[in-house]
Amino acid sequence: MRKLICLLAFFCCISTAIAQNKTITGKVTDSKSRLPVVNATIKTKGYDNLTITDQDGNFTLTINGKAKVLEVSSVGFTTQEVPISDGIINVNLEQADKSLTEVVVIGYGTNTKRDITGSVSKVSAKEINNTPATSFESAIQGRAAGVQVSQQNGKLGQGINIRIRGSASISAGNEPLYVIDGVPVITSDLSGNGAPTDPLADLNMNDIESIDILKDASASAIYGSRASNGVVLITTKKGKAGTSKIDLGYYTGLQDPTGRRKFMNAQQYLDLMFAAGVGGAKQDFINGDSGYGTLEEALDDYKSIVEGRMTRYSADNDDWKTAKINTDWQDQVFKRAPISQYDLNFSGGTDKTKYYASGEYLDQTGILIKNGYKRYNARLNLEQSVKDWLSIGVNMSFARSENKRVANDDQFSSPLQIVALSPITPVIDPRTGLISGALDTITGNPNTRYPLYYNPLLSADNAYYHTMVNRTIGNVYGNLNIAKGLTFRTEFGMDQLNQTEEAYRGRLTVRDEGVPNGYGYYLTTQVLTINTNNYFHYSTSFNDVHDVDLTGGMSYEKGTTVGSDATAQDFPSDAYKKLSSAATKVDATSYSTENTLLSYFLRANYKFNDKYLVSLNGRVDGSSRFGANNRYGFFPAASVGWILTKESFLENVKWLNFLKLKASYGLTGNQSIPDFAARGLYAGDGAYGGIAGQRPSQLANPDLKWESTRATDVGLEANIFGSRINIELDVYQRLTSDLLLDREVPGTSGFATKFENIGKLYNKGLEITINTVNISSKNFKWTSNLNFSSNKNKVTDLGGQVLGKYQSKAIEGQPLGVFFAREFAGADPQNGDALYYKNTPKAGGGMDRTTTNDYNAATDVVIGNPNPKFIYGFSNTITYKGIDLDVLLQGVSGNQIYNGGGQYMSSSGSNGYDNQTTDQLSYWKKPGDITNVPEPRLFYPNGTDPSSRYVSNGSYLRVKSVSLGYSLPASLIKKAKLDRVRIYVRAQNLFTITKYKGWDPEVSEDDYTDNINQGVDFYSAPQIKTIVFGFNIGL
Amino acid sequence: MTMKNIIENILLYSTALFVLGCNKKLDTTPTSSIDAGSALTTSVDVKLALVGAYKDFGTADFFGGIIFLEGDLMAYGSELDWSGTYQELTQINNKTIPVDNGFVSSNWLDGYTAINDVNNVLSAIDVVDASEKDKVDGEAKFIRGASYFELVKKFGRSWNDGDPTANAGVPIVLTPTHSITEESKVKRNTVAEVYTQVINDLTEAEAKLPQDNGFFANQSAASAMLARVYLQKGDYTNAAIEANNAIKTTAAQLAPTYGEAFGVTSDEDIFSIQVTASSGTQGFNEFYSEDQRGEIQITDDHLALYEADDDRLNLFNSDGYTLKFEEVYGNVHTIRLAEMYLIRAEANFRSGTHVGDEPVNDINVIRNRVNLSSYDAADLTLDKILLERRLELAFEGFALDDLKRLEGSVANFDWDSPKLIFPIPKREINTNPNLTQNEGY
Repeated sequence: MRKLICLLAFFCCISTAIAQNKTITGKVTDSKSRLPVVNATIKTKGYDNLTITDQDGNFTLTINGKAKVLEVSSVGFTTQEVPISDGIINVNLEQADKSLTEVVVIGYGTNTKRDITGSVSKVSAKEINNTPATSFESAIQGRAAGVQVSQQNGKLGQGINIRIRGSASISAGNEPLYVIDGVPVITSDLSGNGAPTDPLADLNMNDIESIDILKDASASAIYGSRASNGVVLITTKKGKAGTSKIDLGYYTGLQDPTGRRKFMNAQQYLDLMFAAGVGGAKQDFINGDSGYGTLEEALDDYKSIVEGRMTRYSADNDDWKTAKINTDWQDQVFKRAPISQYDLNFSGGTDKTKYYASGEYLDQTGILIKNGYKRYNARLNLEQSVKDWLSIGVNMSFARSENKRVANDDQFSSPLQIVALSPITPVIDPRTGLISGALDTITGNPNTRYPLYYNPLLSADNAYYHTMVNRTIGNVYGNLNIAKGLTFRTEFGMDQLNQTEEAYRGRLTVRDEGVPNGYGYYLTTQVLTINTNNYFHYSTSFNDVHDVDLTGGMSYEKGTTVGSDATAQDFPSDAYKKLSSAATKVDATSYSTENTLLSYFLRANYKFNDKYLVSLNGRVDGSSRFGANNRYGFFPAASVGWILTKESFLENVKWLNFLKLKASYGLTGNQSIPDFAARGLYAGDGAYGGIAGQRPSQLANPDLKWESTRATDVGLEANIFGSRINIELDVYQRLTSDLLLDREVPGTSGFATKFENIGKLYNKGLEITINTVNISSKNFKWTSNLNFSSNKNKVTDLGGQVLGKYQSKAIEGQPLGVFFAREFAGADPQNGDALYYKNTPKAGGGMDRTTTNDYNAATDVVIGNPNPKFIYGFSNTITYKGIDLDVLLQGVSGNQIYNGGGQYMSSSGSNGYDNQTTDQLSYWKKPGDITNVPEPRLFYPNGTDPSSRYVSNGSYLRVKSVSLGYSLPASLIKKAKLDRVRIYVRAQNLFTITKYKGWDPEVSEDDYTDNINQGVDFYSAPQIKTIVFGFNIGL
Repeated sequence: MTMKNIIENILLYSTALFVLGCNKKLDTTPTSSIDAGSALTTSVDVKLALVGAYKDFGTADFFGGIIFLEGDLMAYGSELDWSGTYQELTQINNKTIPVDNGFVSSNWLDGYTAINDVNNVLSAIDVVDASEKDKVDGEAKFIRGASYFELVKKFGRSWNDGDPTANAGVPIVLTPTHSITEESKVKRNTVAEVYTQVINDLTEAEAKLPQDNGFFANQSAASAMLARVYLQKGDYTNAAIEANNAIKTTAAQLAPTYGEAFGVTSDEDIFSIQVTASSGTQGFNEFYSEDQRGEIQITDDHLALYEADDDRLNLFNSDGYTLKFEEVYGNVHTIRLAEMYLIRAEANFRSGTHVGDEPVNDINVIRNRVNLSSYDAADLTLDKILLERRLELAFEGFALDDLKRLEGSVANFDWDSPKLIFPIPKREINTNPNLTQNEGY
């Protein structure tokens, strides 16, 4: 401590003596526009004389008589050295190559793009603002190399998965760490309805100035044990000195589903059902299950059974015989839906005070019946310079969101499960005049026998599930200039998320819930994360060639979650929906949990002669989540960079404007596991028959620690042809070990799994980003951005086990989440049986490729991979006079989708009377038929077990975003005292090219998506296609 | 305040944070759970763990009913019609069970979870108050014995199928698990060894349990479970003795009508799994009740077995659904007193004894309640006893066990078909190489 103060005192006492002065004057102008450059810095080289230019670009500076050279610099311009001469010194500054001077936000500081030795992708406000989508993640899809964004489905405000350079974990989290203005934010799913919500949907994306994505170890290691999935740094907008602006924005438009799946019409359905009856009868007779004497008897019986059912599902009449009713159930749940957003913000400041204040209101209706989302946001970012050595500030945002949700994919009440209903069933039951299923005239209760399943339309009118969130994210901070080059920053931040979920299901939903007299549910979750960052920053240059930049400090973070929920049933009537009215309180729980993280971090950047760059990073993290034997982890990283264009041998290569080679190596961690994962636990949830109890819930592992990822990155950045082409290339390898695995243990132990650090996997990949200025003339400018990333993921060690449920597995030697099941071989031409390749190892090596109709005689093989081979984005921006056009194409390639609903919707009648996809019409009909659809057999599984039958190509290319705007001429709007007016039309997910036959290829079953289970479609809602018209007015 | 003061204050503040930021900050305490090491330190703790064991024992896939329902799906053939959407149950119904069938995996896992629960209780039996020690010990062993009995029947060959001292049963684990070691990779014990363990546990339970024990297992429950075990073994002498013990000691009495035996609670239950709105699941209800999934219908092939006046026919509705399981929050009536009369009758009849009462009297008790006339002793045959059992206990989970011990057949499957035995779940084989798979899988 004493030493520290002495050190500081030393810096404070540095003072300069001035001798033999003279005064010079001059003017700084932009070489291109000839306009004066304001606030340019004028400095004598080797001496400490310094001033800035005034409003007219003029400067006057008293300098040491020995000074020979002036250094003139300004943001956005290349620094220039000019000899000191007598008289007026005129300086023409060249506009700098933006790709080099761009400020990149890194952990606990910033750097310029030129000097960065790590790998960071930046997405700026221009690209994301006014994207007509609920969450900002949608807006970065396709914008950054190595960043895969996939939204689970088109339900509003629901789960979005982000993978930065692939999946690095199997049981722990795979989502990156998000930090907003220095505050790590809550991203855990708090949803109570079985499908995740996206806590980042609470952000107003128009508040975002930039998103910097830290991808390699060098960039992210300063976030230590939370960095191995990458770090996303979000910087919100700040006011600028000398301005005072008001911006008003509005857009409104319509949304539609991106796609539909084709289901059978009434006639096709009838044909298939009767065919399934024939198939079922034949099987029944062969098996002797029902004791039929002859095949005729079986066929007759089955025919009458099917006829009976058709009559039942036709509302007990004969309409089905003429296929009179032909209901397309998808029409009933898809809606063309409006979306509107209103924005207003004020920003500006003086040299002492800077402010940014904003408000936003988003009102979005979903494409699914009764789905809706509203959000209110407000923000104030304020910074005040209190003294010349002290500034303080606050970044504070408030949000309120109200999400009217629909059931998760695995519920009969989920809107899209409506496709299972028979097309011969009318929407309105002619016997009652009510929605089919609302009333059984015989019992007086909701109909349990008609339609085929519970009708989700009953939930639309008789049930609701509201998720309401109040969110405060913000921090207060102080910046202290201790001495020249030395600053200290202290921040205290918090993220407070209060969520209330309220649901009611009325009497008509009894067939879905089994609860006859109303069901109510109330859940609260309060999450509070507080954090403090305290760090020094010191930057200096000496001997003209050494630049040193040091950042070091500590951080402490504590997260607490408190929650409760209550359920009740037996309500007096559906008019009463609050739990207070319920006669039976079914359940009530409350819980709390907490975690803490104590960290120390350091970064040292060194630059020699402006061309050799070295950066060292490190963080020590202590986490309450880790076992007692492994409390602290150390995460170091190092990187080097070499700017070759500064070397003499490249100085004369005219076409090469900039070339940097860089390499990094480092260690990062992942600690997103449950708070008490290391403890041996008993849970108090063992109540039985109304008497409290406890039971063992978890095996202890005092050695539990973070997952480690050792990452190597080698890259280059080049600007060529007058910097019209900018190329960035990165090759990386990320080796993850000590995977935190829910390791399956023998069930005879009384436990299914235990958390252990076993297992390894890797991600290897390549990222290319090319920015080009294709045309740049006075009125016409055309620029392009292409980003391409290829990632190869492989699980290398799981301690010999296979993890995962259903068909999605983690298997050694395979990418994470491969589809592992039988290989389907189509229908047996002889008898219509589903065939599978045996794929059993043969004695002499190789696989037995003969087929079998016995599912158990075939072995599981890899039949698909949900991880794309590569992802890409391609954007073009054209401006012509006041017109601007931006088109973003985005795509993934080489991945597969597993249709988990296939066993019901494409199942040859094996599941009974579910309506089927039209591709099932090509079923096996007679011996000799060659087809991939086995014979339909009513209630006889014929090829419906998990197999490659349900695997499809998941590649797609999407016109992700199109925006066409027109800025009104200044001459016109100046009269109205306006600064700028832009009107635009913007589309999201406009058009998709894919071979996938489902609703949309960007899909993941929302009730069961984890690190392993990806790319599974289960009656999942399609994405949203949006077209909006809007305007922005600035004054 | 001078600048220097401020700097010093800030530095002091941050230094304090550095220092305060010691290990202590990282010691968080779970609130919704407690450390396993301190979970069983008092008598109350152990009794709480015993309650928790009942919960796991009575979980849906185990004694909550599904494991019994699975046996019935396999054994009833054309007497029931399965039209459900769970592929796993369809596979069981069709007797083409893949080794990764999720229901079968759960049956195994849930059974052993209950067993580990009671092994924990038994390991801490010494801290239980002396006055309650026998009761706690007896209940734990009741749960363990009943669990092993159910597991060995489903995962091993039937007692009468070949040599039970050679046939593989299920692994016997009698100590609680605190960590996973090589010793956790247990081998399968023989069918005979498992039966011996079952009989030992239940016999001890019978000796230690009190007669009055609320809805928890009591002495009669242990006797009744033992009677089942002996019957399954074909040890009719002991089956008659234990059934008689249960009848003599229990406070349960036959419900006045058959239908009343299937209410939310029932006076006829010697032992039942408690299901309330807030805990437990009625596994039968989920699939049999027309108000729920309604995926199992009873066919005429079954209904034709009843005499016309049989009151039990009133428990089937016109859509072919059984009405035995209509209560979503109704107890699972695990052991009804009626079953004991049927066991006593059969066992006495087979061994020519009359422990407790004459077989014909026991059968007539069952028949008279459902409005059927009494048999004369001279007319009573084993087939009549077995038919009475089949009808009285229909769809309550006895069909597969009876099929095997009576060496019958269903569809094209003989009683000793390997397809009528569950596979050892794939996840168990994967995690424990010492386990052998059953024939036919």
